[in-house]
Amino acid sequence: MTLRNIPLRPVSNEELPEFHKHVCPPTFGGGPIDPVTPTRRIARDLAVNIGLDVPGSGRVPMWVLEDPDDKDGGQVFPSKPIRTVEGDVVHARVGAKLNTHTVHWHGIEPTPMNDGVGKHSFEISGHFTYQFATRQAGTFLYHCHKNTALHFEMGLYGALIVDPKKPDTPEARYYPEPPYPPGGPGYVRAYNPPWHVVPYDIEALWVPDDIDTRWHKLAHDAFMQKCNPDDPTAAENFTRDGILNDFRPDVFVLSGEARRADDDTPFEKAAVHAKVDQTILLRFIDASYSVQEIHVGLPMTLVSQDGFTFGVGPTGQYNRPIEFEPNQTFRLTAAMRGNMLVRPTQPGRFPVTIDFFHWISGRKLYTAKTFIDVAP
Amino acid sequence: MAETISRREFMRYALVGAAALAGGVVAGRYLPLGRQVIYGIRRNLAITEALVQMVDQTFVYHWAFEDLSGMPPMPSVPGPLIQAIEGEEVQLTVTNTLRDIHGFRVLGAPGDVGAGISILPGETKTIEFPAPEGGSYMYFDHINLPVNRVLGLHGPMIVLPENGNTPYSKPTPNVQRLFNDLGTTGHFPGEPWKPERTRIWLFNSIDPRFNEMAENGQPIDAARFREEVLPRYFTINGESGAFSSHNHHTVPSGRIGQPHLIRIMNAGMNSDSPHIHGNHVYLTARDDAAGGRRVEENVRFVDTFTSESGELMDWLLPMRRPPDIPGDERVPLRELIPEELALTLGGVRQSPLKYPMHGHNEVSQSAAGGNYPQGMVTGYEITGDLDGVDFPQSPASEKGGPPEAH
Repeated sequence: MTLRNIPLRPVSNEELPEFHKHVCPPTFGGGPIDPVTPTRRIARDLAVNIGLDVPGSGRVPMWVLEDPDDKDGGQVFPSKPIRTVEGDVVHARVGAKLNTHTVHWHGIEPTPMNDGVGKHSFEISGHFTYQFATRQAGTFLYHCHKNTALHFEMGLYGALIVDPKKPDTPEARYYPEPPYPPGGPGYVRAYNPPWHVVPYDIEALWVPDDIDTRWHKLAHDAFMQKCNPDDPTAAENFTRDGILNDFRPDVFVLSGEARRADDDTPFEKAAVHAKVDQTILLRFIDASYSVQEIHVGLPMTLVSQDGFTFGVGPTGQYNRPIEFEPNQTFRLTAAMRGNMLVRPTQPGRFPVTIDFFHWISGRKLYTAKTFIDVAP
Repeated sequence: MAETISRREFMRYALVGAAALAGGVVAGRYLPLGRQVIYGIRRNLAITEALVQMVDQTFVYHWAFEDLSGMPPMPSVPGPLIQAIEGEEVQLTVTNTLRDIHGFRVLGAPGDVGAGISILPGETKTIEFPAPEGGSYMYFDHINLPVNRVLGLHGPMIVLPENGNTPYSKPTPNVQRLFNDLGTTGHFPGEPWKPERTRIWLFNSIDPRFNEMAENGQPIDAARFREEVLPRYFTINGESGAFSSHNHHTVPSGRIGQPHLIRIMNAGMNSDSPHIHGNHVYLTARDDAAGGRRVEENVRFVDTFTSESGELMDWLLPMRRPPDIPGDERVPLRELIPEELALTLGGVRQSPLKYPMHGHNEVSQSAAGGNYPQGMVTGYEITGDLDGVDFPQSPASEKGGPPEAH
């Protein structure tokens, strides 16, 4: 029997612009479109080249988004966190310093023009001011959404934290005004009637990542399809020598600190130092292309996921916070976020491990170790 | 017109909101029938082979199910949608036309078919089972698992419950409350979920080196496959990239307040981390690779969640007004964002509002080693305001009703 073909469906002439734009978005600048008066302005420029120190291996080239208004700490990996306050209207001025880029405000849900996905809007040439509200307090993410397999891997991402307002309680006057300082103290949105905020003393941002150093020698447009508006699906448009389907991490990262795959030295930067009865807020952001299983040697409560708080508000009435026993597995894959509250009641050093598993074979690649130190 | 529609377009797995197309009003309600619905149900299937064209136009050998009652019969990857109502007797006659043993299994179904039925080369087996409880199912060849499944022998099965307003026979209290609230509460204004507002997103990943081994009759060791498979193409409902992003059988379409159910099935080898823009989704059910079904007790509202190899999950996309558009939430979007809705960029109008869904393990966004974003990506579109007025220049076919029949 001769083999039958199942061909690609034919593309009509009306569909050609959509198919062309899918891989070759137009460039655009200026903005905002349909402007509203902002309550907060932020700025990020990309891409900036920096090096990441890997003990025993030298420096790995990274690309980050810089805060152009912060001359001292504006160029870091992961890119500098953005903090807004629940209810803010944000104008985010993004400059494309090199090449064209976008920024997607991951988990924030504005119009497509402000969503930062080229194939549904445009890529920035020069600069563009994105406009969005931050109506939910929680942990979000911002990242470049162009040639994303590569650009996200290269470090073009950072935390986007939306802080709740302070409650109308007597003790609130001892806390800073939002946006809260990095590391704490502050308030986090969590199920806790009637205000549904919980004060925390210490905040840790735990961002697991993994690096395939072969990818870090590539150019911005590596292995992109050629633009051909008249025949966007033609076979000759495609590159065929790429490696962006082949991710083999050899460096592992926790919150910007790197380790070679054969280096099991505990991560110091992510370690938490607290006292008995303090409240610790762990914000997890998975920036890797592996599967992670996280084990913390203390009981924890997952109070929100992907920026929405369990048990709070009309959309939260179908769910509730999730309790974790000490060392119970918390599993994460790329771009998932979770806010965990930890309240140690005894002193000691409590181990934290993050196992990285290959996203296809499931093979364990690395175990990152850090700890929570609790002083009496 | 008819000759301009390719066989692929006609035969490819499709789930349309077009009950009328397949004539399906059953038990007093519309069902989300596809072009290749096996329904009611006595049909003949073949296990066969075909060359499937990838997004970069390369043809890759696949094993495939074929609906022999199609007019004319053609193989498809994924296989045809099987759809039934809970308790209905399903009778499938499956013929193995290939030279090696193959099988048929429906995870979560009762009896032999739930455990897997082997079919020798040239053999025909009749498989009968009562449709199990309402939910999403995947059928596949369980022989040499996961090789035969990944190489093309898989397809979706939907079972609707006999009663109720949810997709489940045994909804948990929170899932029941969620479906009761759709269209009846201030936070979900609009309409309740309707079964025809359903899409299947069936993921697969293809490493042509192993498909070539199958074509050449070489045995494929499952352990080696698990360890060495390096997919080069990533598909949703058998398509990738621009094709899966612009196929209305895959892309939900509707106005604000028209919630859709998305049944995610992962036939591929990779885990992924599907991420949806513009709306969070409720994770209403998850099925593990051993066939265990779990309607969620704790219904999380997420924008990204893990899709494990061989597993299923259901998302309820509320089709809310995207909540972070600044401005007065009482003003219709057509008045609040007129400049954006009037804008054309790259020859494509910004109306209706289109949002992507893609694997956030961004490696799955590649095809042939690069060519972002020609991998596992699709999306959905919001075509109009809550009050029933469409955004400017939304064609009538994009209103969320049945698409035009071919």
